[in-house]
Order: sequence, then structure tokens, then C-alpha cells
Amino acid sequence: MQRRIVVTGIGCVTPLGNSQEELAAGLYSGRIGIGRLTLFDASNFPVRIAAEVRNWDPGTAGLEARRWQHCPRQTQFAIAAGLQAVRQSGIDDAVFDRERLGVYLGCGEPFEDFNAFTRSVHASMKSDGGAAIPFMNSALQIFDPNVEREAEPDMPAIHLGGLLNARGPIANCISACVSSTQAIGESMRMIQQGEVDMMLCGGAHSTIHPFGVTGFQRLSALSQRNDDPQSAVRPFDADRDGFVIGEGAGLFIIEERDHALRRGAEILGEITGYGSAQDAYRVTDSHPQGRGTASAIMRALASAKLNPQDIGYINAHGTGTVLNDKVETLAIKQAFGQQAYRIPVSSTKSMLGHATTACGAIELAVCLISLQTGVIPPTLNHEKADPDCDLDYVPRNAREVSCRHVLTNNIGFGGQNAALIVSRYEEGSRTRVAVARAA
Amino acid sequence: MDGKSSSQIRVVVTGVGVVSSAGRTAGQFWRTLTGVLSASTFQSLSDNLDIATTRTPGAADFAGSIDDFCDLPDAQRKAIRKALKLMNRETQMGVAAGQQALADSGIAGQYDPDRLGICFGADNVSIMPDDFQRGIEACSSAAGHFDVDRWGQDGIEEVAPLWLLKCLPNMPACHLAIINDLRGPGNTITQRDVSANMAVAEACRSIRSEAADAVLVGATGTTLTTFNRLHARYEDEISECDGVCRPFDRSRTGSVPGEGAGAIVLEEMHCALRRGATIYGEVLGAASASAVGLDRMIACRTAMGSAMRQTLRRSGQSAASIGHIHAHGLGTRESDLAEAQAIRDIFGDLTSTTPVIAAKGHLGNAAAGSGAMELIASLLALKHGHLFPILHFRDADPECRVHPVTRFDEPAGTSFLNVNMFGRGLASCVAVAAFSA
Repeated sequence: MQRRIVVTGIGCVTPLGNSQEELAAGLYSGRIGIGRLTLFDASNFPVRIAAEVRNWDPGTAGLEARRWQHCPRQTQFAIAAGLQAVRQSGIDDAVFDRERLGVYLGCGEPFEDFNAFTRSVHASMKSDGGAAIPFMNSALQIFDPNVEREAEPDMPAIHLGGLLNARGPIANCISACVSSTQAIGESMRMIQQGEVDMMLCGGAHSTIHPFGVTGFQRLSALSQRNDDPQSAVRPFDADRDGFVIGEGAGLFIIEERDHALRRGAEILGEITGYGSAQDAYRVTDSHPQGRGTASAIMRALASAKLNPQDIGYINAHGTGTVLNDKVETLAIKQAFGQQAYRIPVSSTKSMLGHATTACGAIELAVCLISLQTGVIPPTLNHEKADPDCDLDYVPRNAREVSCRHVLTNNIGFGGQNAALIVSRYEEGSRTRVAVARAA
Repeated sequence: MDGKSSSQIRVVVTGVGVVSSAGRTAGQFWRTLTGVLSASTFQSLSDNLDIATTRTPGAADFAGSIDDFCDLPDAQRKAIRKALKLMNRETQMGVAAGQQALADSGIAGQYDPDRLGICFGADNVSIMPDDFQRGIEACSSAAGHFDVDRWGQDGIEEVAPLWLLKCLPNMPACHLAIINDLRGPGNTITQRDVSANMAVAEACRSIRSEAADAVLVGATGTTLTTFNRLHARYEDEISECDGVCRPFDRSRTGSVPGEGAGAIVLEEMHCALRRGATIYGEVLGAASASAVGLDRMIACRTAMGSAMRQTLRRSGQSAASIGHIHAHGLGTRESDLAEAQAIRDIFGDLTSTTPVIAAKGHLGNAAAGSGAMELIASLLALKHGHLFPILHFRDADPECRVHPVTRFDEPAGTSFLNVNMFGRGLASCVAVAAFSA
């Protein structure tokens, strides 16, 4: 019988709050965590809005500020969220084989110090000879080695591995906006195949940085609604014009069910399905029919041994770009058939912005909260119907929907897709489903 | 495969590809490792600064032009040529290695695209100064004064529209999936030197969970870019003397920057047999382990020992059954010593007779790419039945009590462990055996 994977700890740092409770309160009160970009002087940038984790203070988040002062925001977010998940799971007091605990995150690339980088490039341009020597000479003088050493995507996982005294695998993956979704799905597989019993998994990222705005602006992916940040992200709305860069972290302790039961842990949900698929189409655009997205969803359903009608809610990728929302709608219809029109679909990016590699993990936290409360969050700013987007997007208000299985879907640049299914935990239920299907 | 438990599903290697300083095909690579071709492909770096790397193994024969890719069908050749401007060097090397591996396996047209996955290892991609020069110029006064505050207004528009996509580490996997219509699961592991073996492990998991029948696995990396070299300097991993990497040698002085990529095709055994594929070997098992937070030497020794021990257990192998070990062999004082100690911890008395090879003597340190190239070197050794000497190894270090290979005729045995580690206390290991149905 396949090993079952349950969630026993949730941690999050988001623009709506830095705990599950604050996130839930923000989601259900319809608060939007998007405002003026303050993390650097963006006054003459074409985009001046962002979904920031406001007033971030490592100290109030329970971190020793001095120890983490050289780490990028995403590392600080990951540590804070990871420690929340660990505390909730109770594993910090538990006795277990540390080789059976690993860490797998989908944290994105921390950017270099923009001022130091541009100054060093400028220095290299003034030289008549090769550019590398003056660049390096300048960089060696003005970059802070303590900061640079921390500016690697795997540093959050490495630090958390050390803090937890984990002796199992430590990994980070980057597959654009599906990174943390994949990190959770692959962690699930590691436990299923008996390599480990517990994983700390999820992701963290911040692209609120001159490099981040430069890159996404040049890709024409960002909303230009600088004067009205609260209405900027309009998933599935006819007037949508792009996403808003965000930041945050979502981390989870997931473990083999019997392992959790033996140590008396509270089970917050069960991860039952995971699917990953490539569009194999273009690096810039999704496949016009959303074939990879549909495949990832169908693979998640198959791995969970569930049918389309079993899914009670879909947390969509829903970035608010013209193409994403259209293609994702097509993919949901392809995967769910007529049932697609009966499943509520919402995009919480309307409130949280786009935390890029971390978005999938944060949205899994949203799904777990929805399962626990029986209330699904709305898609805010969804006001004007788009004929290409004709599903039930839960506009304006949160809705009471008691569901047992929910699906979260993510789509990434490069044509990568991943979906997870999380289910309300019911003892013995998985076995019954399997037997019923076999019969 | 219905009804089989994941542990019963066997995974075999059916294709290899490599871009390296020792050649840009698997054939050249093997001939260089075994001394048939000269290993003198070091290139001088004029910008070596005070980072004492006077010579460094770059993949000098790989210029990244379309002719550097293997023989391709017209459609793929066209697709790659069109995409080249979107690829940084690591991506170009990764794609070239991947194309070789796919061609070698003869897998094209043999599977439903939905059953073909990809998993790559890569490093954080450095932002290249060249990509920002025009923008910086636009923010500079006539007198040449640069004003960073003008960036948002004048600089951004001068950056290439698709610049960000060049910087994503997942691009080798994405391009390969697009070029070859691989629609199965895809991922990119960015766990530095241990990425390649982790990618092999993840691909095996995908096949064993029946999410894919075949997975293109590889890794690509460089430590030669300006930023990589800056970071390497911060990590104190650069050779202090003559730019020669001497794994396990008494007079070793450090690692040498390098670059390269390797790729293999993994397939479920029955699928491979049905289509009559040539099988290089079988992946018996894999494990990775960590010991972050301990003293660096102890952390590396502990993690590496744990990864090897768990790999042996998962593979159903004993130390006595292992034909050779492909060590990480970074060439630094500490790393090689920790590794030698870890090997002794696991292999005990067998350490003195179990051959240890380390291709970094030839290849330098290509970060994530190294693990894949080293795995391929050992697969080729299995195929040819013999090993190759560690380049630049002259005198045994009495502290590193392992058995470094010094002869061309040392038998490869019928199985090996490929081991990699990262200095903060991370290790990954894969066990491969010659295939026997």
C-alpha cells in the first residue's frame, strides 16, 4: 500500500500577514496586500507598485536579527516560515532519526546588489582593455562578501537544514513559477518511495528589486496601474493587464502518515496528488491550448486516484496577464470537462501579488486554510466578464464551500506546469477510495 | 508496469552526451581521459587578476555555434539556431550535451511525448555585465558620469526584452523539452555540486512512480564567469598556485575553475529492452545526505559517508561489490581529505584496494556540471572495462589513505559509486552497475 503523506506544520510570510492566522484573516476580509513599492526608490521606474511583506522585521518574526542580517529577504522569510511550520508540527521536541528528515525548497535567484553591480559595469566600460579586470577590481572593492555569499538560491534550504539538524537530502529547485509546487511534490515522492519520513518543503522568493522590475517589465508581464495598486491585479477580468511582483514564503512539514500518528501530531491535511508537465512549446508563451497545464492537472488527479467531480475548489495560478488566464481557463476545461463549470476557481494573486517561485507554496497554504475553515477566498477585482474566461471565479466575496479535495495549479516561464491536490485528512479514507475504484 | 512496487522498477542508462574541456563528444571525452588525445586544452586567461588561475580548463572547442551541436535533423537544427540568442553559455552546453545523449539513445519517435521527462542540474545564473552596458550608457552623462537614479527612466528600455529568460537556471531543461517535444515531468535542481546526482535520483523517482518511461537527465555549469570567479574567491576554493588541479595528491593546492555539461538518458528497463536500446548500465540506487552546521571537514565527511552508506543499502550492494569510486576530488586540501576519510569510514579495509578516480584533474570544477561529466566518465569506463589515471596525481598523500588510479589498465569493475559534495556539508551519491537482465 502506498505511503500516505500528511501536513503537520504550516508556516507563511506574505503581504497579507506573517502567520496562517493573519493570512486567513486577510484573505477572508478581502484585503489587498498591494501598494506603492517602497523597498527601493522606484520613483522613476515604469512600475512603482508591489505586493510587499510590509514592515518586515526579522526580530519580530522570531529571528535573531544579527545572525541573518546579511541574508536576502527571501532567506529571512524562509527561515521565519520554516520555524513556524516546525513549531506547529512539534518535531522540534520529537526524537527521530535525523537522516529521515530532509529539506526541499523552490527558492528563486536572489539578485545582486544593483548599485554595486551597475557601478562595477560602468567602471569596466571606461576601460580601454578587457572588461573583466576593471569589473572585478571594482566588484572586489564594493560588493559585500558577506552578502554575496548568501546570495544563492539554495542558502535558505542549507540554513534550515542546519537549524533543524536534518541529515537527509537538502535540495533547491528552480522551475520558474512552479518551483515551490514542484519542491513539495518531489518531497512527497521522496516520502512515498521510503527515502525519508519527513520533509520541510515549500519555497520563498522576492523579486521586488531593480533587476526584478527590469526583467518582468521588459517581458511586458507587469500591470501598469501605478495609480490604483489595489485594483492592479485583475485575474480573469476583461481589463486585466498583468501581474504585480510580490514576495513571501510558504513552508510545510510533511510526513508519512503513520509517522505523524505515532508521535501524536495534529494532521492538518493530506497531500494526495502531484503532477508535473512540460508544455514543450515556447520559452516565452504557454501553449495556446494549455496542454502542459491540463496534463499537470490530469496527472495530479490520476496520482490522487480522484475524478474531476471529487475536486471542490481550484486555486488557480491566475496571474492576471492576458495570456495566462485565458490559457489556464482552457486547460481547466480540458482537464475537468463539463465539471469545470461547477468547480469554484479563484486566484489569490489578486490579494497577494505574484511571489514567483514561492507562489505555489503560499497558495498551498491558502488551500489548507480553505479545507480547515470550509471557506474559499475570492478573486478580487474580477468585475468585467471576459468571454475567454467563463468559469466560476468566485468574484468579490469569500464563499462557504465544504470540500474534501482541493487543487492548486501553477504555470511557469519556459513552459513548466505543476499541480498539487490536498485533501481533508480522514483516517482510512484513502484505502476505501482505492478499494472502491478497484471494484 | 501495473502492479509493480516502485522498488521493482529498474532504470537503465541508454544514452550519453558531454561538452567538456576534454572534448565535445563522448568519444573525444573518453579518448582524452585515456590519454589517446592530449589533455592540454587549458586556455590562458588574460584577466586572471590576482586569482591565481593562470590556466583553466574551459570547453575551448565549444564556441556555441550551431555547428557545435551534434548532427541534428533539420527542424531541430533550425529550432536551436533560432534559440541560441536566448541561451547563455551554460544553457548552450547543457542543450548540446542533451542533444547528444538523445541521439545516442536513439529514443526519438519511440515514445508518447507525455511519457518523456527531463530533469537537469544547474547553478544560479550570473547576471552578465554585457547585458547591462547599453542601459548604463543611457544613464551616463556626456562626461561619462553614471547616475543610477536614472535607471528606471533611461536604462530599463535598453535591456533586451528577453534578458530575464537568459538568466533562469531552468532554461537548459526548457529548451531541450521544446526542441525534443518532451512533455512529461520537468524540473531543475539548483543544489550546486550535488545537483547532478540528485537529478538522477529524481528522474528515477519519476520513472518508479510511473510518471515517465524515460527521462533526459543532465547538469551544466561553469565557474569561469566573472561573477562565479568572484564568488569562488569568497568561498576560498581557488587554487593558490599554478592552476593545476591534483586530486588526492600530496602537493594539491586547490580547485581550478572549469565549465562543461553532461547528459544521460534514463529509461525503464523493459521499455529500453523492447526497443532494443544499447544499455550502458543500470542505476541501482541513489541517496543524498547533509550535515550542515558541523565543522566543515566533519560535515563533509559525515554527509559523504551517509550518502554512500545509504546508496549502498538502497542498491542492495556491499562495499566489496563496488568496482570503483568516482570521487568528487575537488583538489583542495580539506575537501579531498574529508572525502578520503568518508570513503574509509564506509569501505574500511577495502579502501586500499577499491580504485578511486577523479576527473577534475582533467576537467576542473564545473560546479553543477561536474557531477554529470564524472558520471559519464565512469559509465564509459564500465563500457570499456578499464579506468584512467587521475591527471596530475603524482605522489600519494599519506593522510588521504585511498587508492587513486594511476594506470590506464586498472579494471573498472562491474559497478561504481559516483560521489559529489558541496563544502557546506552536502553530499549526493549514485550507484550504477553494468547491465545484466
